[in-house]
Amino acid sequence: MWVFLIRRMLNTIPILLGVSLVTFFLMSMAPGGYLDTLSQNPQVSPETIARLKAQYNLDKPWYVQYFAWLKSAVRLDFGYSVQYQIAVTDLIGGRVWNTFVLSACAFVLAWLVAVPLGILAAVKRGSFVDRGSSVVAFAGLSIPEVLSALLALMFAAATKDSLGLPIGGAQSSLYDFMSPGDQFIDRVKHLILPVLVLASVEMAAIMRQMRSNLLDTLNAEYVTAARARGGGEFTVIVKHAVRTAINPLLTLLGYSLARLLSGAFIVENVMAWPGLGRLTMEAFFAKDYYLVVTTVVMAAGLLVVGNFIADVLLAWSDPRIRMEGKRS
Amino acid sequence: MALLEIDSLELEFGKGEDLVRAVDGVSLSIEEGETVCLVGESGSGKSVTALSIARLVPTPPARYPGGEILLEGKDVLKMSKRELRAIRGGVVSYVFQEPSAALNPVYRVGNQIMESLKLHRPKKANKNEVIRLLKLVGIPAPEARIRDYPHQMSGGMQQRVMIAMALASEPKLLIADEPTTALDVTIQAQILELLKELKERLSMSILFITHNLGIVGEIADRLHVMYRGKIVEAASAEEVLDKPKHPYTRALLECVPSLDKDVDRLAMIPEPEARGPEWD
Ligand SMILES: Nc1ncnc2c1ncn2[C@@H]1O[C@H](COP(=O)(O)OP(=O)(O)OP(=O)(O)O)[C@@H](O)[C@H]1O
Ligand SMILES: [Mg+2]
Repeated sequence: MWVFLIRRMLNTIPILLGVSLVTFFLMSMAPGGYLDTLSQNPQVSPETIARLKAQYNLDKPWYVQYFAWLKSAVRLDFGYSVQYQIAVTDLIGGRVWNTFVLSACAFVLAWLVAVPLGILAAVKRGSFVDRGSSVVAFAGLSIPEVLSALLALMFAAATKDSLGLPIGGAQSSLYDFMSPGDQFIDRVKHLILPVLVLASVEMAAIMRQMRSNLLDTLNAEYVTAARARGGGEFTVIVKHAVRTAINPLLTLLGYSLARLLSGAFIVENVMAWPGLGRLTMEAFFAKDYYLVVTTVVMAAGLLVVGNFIADVLLAWSDPRIRMEGKRS
Repeated sequence: MALLEIDSLELEFGKGEDLVRAVDGVSLSIEEGETVCLVGESGSGKSVTALSIARLVPTPPARYPGGEILLEGKDVLKMSKRELRAIRGGVVSYVFQEPSAALNPVYRVGNQIMESLKLHRPKKANKNEVIRLLKLVGIPAPEARIRDYPHQMSGGMQQRVMIAMALASEPKLLIADEPTTALDVTIQAQILELLKELKERLSMSILFITHNLGIVGEIADRLHVMYRGKIVEAASAEEVLDKPKHPYTRALLECVPSLDKDVDRLAMIPEPEARGPEWD
């Protein structure tokens, strides 16, 4: 198991290196840079521009910049945001946290709702619950996040007086003047709609998957065997069918995180959620090199960590995978 | 009173055009301590008949339009869920064809045997009893095997575990549905030997399902031949093997490879199109 974990962890390094390299290269291909914009500004002297250029290696070829960046990045210094005029590391922390909170809430909600619903749909196959949930899931899967995010904003605007849900953003303008309790409530209120939007697609996907996995395992011979031993229907379904139906779901957990993260990029941009996705877009349009590369690497990092957790969970859950190579 | 008495049992799937009568008026009885073989080609309805005995064929999709299954005098088809749970394991236990599919891959074999003990003999639900059962079915070093997952065992060992699990509840009737078909020939012989030995020691009844008539003589007291959902021949094992009446039984018998026959002339069961009217 430890060998498996360590090997898996080492595998993530080349992925992160590759992602940062490609991003750097692509950014260097794009015409112009932030300093070109800055040099249009009459208040900024050519000397300042030259100084900034030299300081951040912006006058050197892209691979030189890349290695300089990489060297400091391993010390968790991700360079300087020319646009915000602060260190990328300081800028990015809060944004990563926001994206994490958004995705994590959506993830937990999606799984908590989808797994039991999928089980119910499979066990009561063809029932009202099954048909109803499959229609809703179909809708969830076919409405793109951009649209559902817009619809959610319109919903918030329309119900402003009755429900009072905020229209986008992560906190109210008066946030800093609130008591800690009210601050928390304010954050939660802002989370509700983005989380629902983000979770909807995921919920549908997981529910369908859980349903079809369980329909398979309900027909498995070990389920018949468990029933033949005299087990109660609840034990038979939960201990034997559901338990094994979860395994293939865990393989999908990695994809689930990938989908959530790309979904979060869209939701953040539409619903003004100050997370990594929004920051990446802003930095990209401002040609803020180091910021773009760092946000992309962070996003890849979140994905890699997610996949890693998925693999560990799967190994923990399925003895056949855990013991790979240990067969007598 | 016979332990099991199936009388004119009928079982259907689907309706209209797709109606399949998988069991069509089957009658069959098993006395205590008796071993009965059920033989027949693939799709003839052996498994659904066997599963019906503990009501393990899901209804729907299946239906029982007629007949009865008396187990210790009570009709299984009329039992409540609670009564059914008590006879499953308690009176009848099953061993299936594919041990690797019948064992849940995510639980240790000890855990799965324990499940059966907890349900039917809770006082004996302990490690020592599991080890005793594994010893009984001839698993070497049972203390170590108890913590194995099914995938760590060979097919033969897995089938022994299935048998141990079936015996854990001390059933009166063991139903073995082609228990050796998925195994290597040498392992087949070992499992067959084990079942014979257990039958003597525990004086259980056995319903043994196979499509190999070659092993019937070794284990069966009586033999039923099933063909397209019907019992076409039923008699003592010797009688059927010596003087088969139905053409299907004769064809089956010719399939049995034996040393005194020329292997080149190994017979085939005729395809359905090539079967004469005397078959039905
Ligand atoms: N769930 C089901 N739905 C529809 N038909 C079924 C179902 N289960 C079994 N049948 C039908 O019942 C018939 C008997 O099947 P059964 O499994 O009992 O055959 P068998 O004699 O055990 O064959 P084998 O030697 O291959 O195990 C088959 O023709 C099959 O088509
Ligand atoms: Mg069968």
